Amino acid sequence: MPLGVLLLLVVGGIAAIAALLHLLGHSQRFDLGNAGVARAEWLRHWPHDAVAHVYLGDKAALIDTAQGPGLLRPFGADTVAHRITEMSETPRGLRIGFADFAAPAVALPLPPETRALWLRVWNEARNG
Amino acid sequence: MGDLSYPDVVQLAIPAFIALILAEFLWVHFKGRGGRYETRDAVTSLVMGAGNVAEGLLLGFVGWWFYVWLWDVTPLDLGTSWAVVALCFVLDDLRYYWVHRMGHRSRWVWASHVNHHSSQHYNLTTALRQTWTGTITFMFIVRAPLVLLGFHPAMIVLVGGLNLIYQFWIHTEAIHRLPRWFEAVMNTPSHHRVHHGRNPRYLDANYAGVFIVWDKIFGTYVPELDEEKPEYGLVHNVGTFNPLRVAFHEWVGIWKDTTQRGISMRHRVMYALAPPGWSHDGSRDTSEGIKAKHLALHPEERGTPGLEGPR
Repeated sequence: MPLGVLLLLVVGGIAAIAALLHLLGHSQRFDLGNAGVARAEWLRHWPHDAVAHVYLGDKAALIDTAQGPGLLRPFGADTVAHRITEMSETPRGLRIGFADFAAPAVALPLPPETRALWLRVWNEARNG
Repeated sequence: MGDLSYPDVVQLAIPAFIALILAEFLWVHFKGRGGRYETRDAVTSLVMGAGNVAEGLLLGFVGWWFYVWLWDVTPLDLGTSWAVVALCFVLDDLRYYWVHRMGHRSRWVWASHVNHHSSQHYNLTTALRQTWTGTITFMFIVRAPLVLLGFHPAMIVLVGGLNLIYQFWIHTEAIHRLPRWFEAVMNTPSHHRVHHGRNPRYLDANYAGVFIVWDKIFGTYVPELDEEKPEYGLVHNVGTFNPLRVAFHEWVGIWKDTTQRGISMRHRVMYALAPPGWSHDGSRDTSEGIKAKHLALHPEERGTPGLEGPR
């Protein structure tokens, strides 16, 4: 197959499928809903954790566990859950990092009171 | 060497791949069953597939030159009859089984294969979420016996492509089970859903490409249980749709682990070659550890498929 035709087929095919999926409503994010949903989702990823508390934010949840604090967030139609290795304040929220190249740090917009609460939970966990 | 050549069947199949993805998606969308689709997940899978084709165009010559060199060395030539092509297909599928098994049992090969399991979805786009780094695992060496036995390199590439095409259609939830005789011999959507499951019982099972009989012979077969639906993805799922991170994340992990301070040379080698999840301090879990922890929580499941004990 000529390279030009192959390229056209691949790029055109990907674009067409992406457009169709999006237009038919398949780009909606997972809705964390409430603390119960967030807890269940965390345990789906980390079934052996003991979850102490769920701090629900607009776009993610801070999960405090006996194994350390972690961040649960929507990931397309699903969720991902990673243990936190760094947390710092930004002008609009928090920057949260993980020890995994496949989970780049995220910048979460959070209201000041949620930001302060999450930082307190993180610092308490870090300081034992 | 002779000028035997076959068409690039994988490239020729691309229009069919696209058409079948559209058909499966429309079925899922309008019927409301038979799988799930999500835009970014699907696009990531498709871009990974395109990258895999590009990697073949860029680096495929490495394996090819190796086969051609072996072909010049070997005194055997089995010819090009359809019976020989069929035998080559079966033996190459046995080769696939072992390379695939190694792909789950050695981190070096897993680093290349992991991206195929990195979606939490299971649909026809997942089939195309293929590696960009297959050549650097040097697993193409495992085909050497086929060339030395007298199978022409072009034939080996052909049957490898046919194998890949067969495996495309089994990445679906739209097909529940096929007739019993077919399920007994061939790899099917049901068998392969198990392979993509992150449930403890489904880890390290059903490595087959085309013929599920290899798993039954070598003790890695686990049936799909109606009472336990496979949950797709990795034990620790990736948090990115960026194809570059998806393609290279485990290689970065190997680099970080093998270059850390304060561990022995043996530990460094083990971080590169041992089963995924191995760690020098026991801080991570291999699939055996995950199954053991699961059984500690659910002792009533001991002895059920996939949780029989050490293999």
